Amino acid sequence: MIFREVEDRDLVGKARRGDVDAYNLLVSRWEKRVFNYVLRLVRDREDSFDVTQDVFLKAYQNLAKLDDPGRFGPWLFRIAHNESFSLLRRPRPDREELREPPVAPPSGLRLLPVETSVAVTAALERLSPEQREAVVLKVYQGFKFEEMADILDCPVSTIKSRLYTALDLLKEVLAPVSIRGES
Amino acid sequence: MSSESRVPDLKAYILGELSPQEQQDVERRLASDPALRDEFERLRLTQTALLSLREEEMPRRIAFVSDKVFTPAWYQRLLDWPRVALASSAMLAASILIHGFLPGKAPVPVAQAPVAQPAAVDVKAVVDAAVGKALAESEVRHRRQAASLLAASESRAEAREQENRLAINRSFEILDRTVKNLRKEVSFASADLGGSR
Repeated sequence: MIFREVEDRDLVGKARRGDVDAYNLLVSRWEKRVFNYVLRLVRDREDSFDVTQDVFLKAYQNLAKLDDPGRFGPWLFRIAHNESFSLLRRPRPDREELREPPVAPPSGLRLLPVETSVAVTAALERLSPEQREAVVLKVYQGFKFEEMADILDCPVSTIKSRLYTALDLLKEVLAPVSIRGES
Repeated sequence: MSSESRVPDLKAYILGELSPQEQQDVERRLASDPALRDEFERLRLTQTALLSLREEEMPRRIAFVSDKVFTPAWYQRLLDWPRVALASSAMLAASILIHGFLPGKAPVPVAQAPVAQPAAVDVKAVVDAAVGKALAESEVRHRRQAASLLAASESRAEAREQENRLAINRSFEILDRTVKNLRKEVSFASADLGGSR
């Protein structure tokens, strides 16, 4: 656990007693992580920002319902998951047509760092939203399997299955690319 | 099935989900199995590539302006007994202290002379007089200002008129001179014509 001068648990307690500054501190601690998680799912900066704002508003309104204040992070990501998938379920044909999928760089060439990140983005795009979410929560957000199960409200076995399938798919695309990039 | 024959969970290993004992088992297998090492290397490269993707900065900070939805209601604040008890005892202690320092004289009843209150009518008259005076002063000031502005404007107009008159006279003089010159030239020309004939 990362040591913090004031733990999330204490801030949640203060926020529940009406201390808005304490909640603002929680927002500043978590906003970038939540935004990046939503961005990897939704893939639109403005939409992601709007969703992130909604997440913090809903979290504040429902703070009294949080059973364990020490698990504020996973609980916040649970709300972010619901909000993101709610947005993804809404039909947005205009946006789908406008968005151009990133094109992976041609193989057999030495890759620059920027090309590697394009390749990673393209590889992530090929995953299903559920697989991508599992990768984001584990690789980018560093949650444990049990925490992911809490966030996504499904068994650990399902989490592992999604994540392992995603890693196999990513490995097929990224591992050879990375080897060439390093040579 | 023994642990040696089972394929180790490399993904859980690389994702940091194994116990220390399980990690040691995997490391032992990796040391002795080249195929397993290749697979592990590919997973490690995949993870490295994934982590090369930078975290995005937010377009702007979350503007969180909230209603105080968790502020206790008034009756909850009233029922905040420890705080109420502390305040009460502090007030009691202060009053005892003040009472102790006060001189022990019995209060003497003092006859209070009736204080003459200014009648409402008087106040109105004073206000009316002040307003009237201020209005009169203001009117005089405005009249004086208007007169000086008018005088300045008239003198400016007179000066302009005089300038125009002078200019017109100058123009007539020039015109007169030009006509005279023309007449002279015409008489010279007709004299020349008469001589030549």
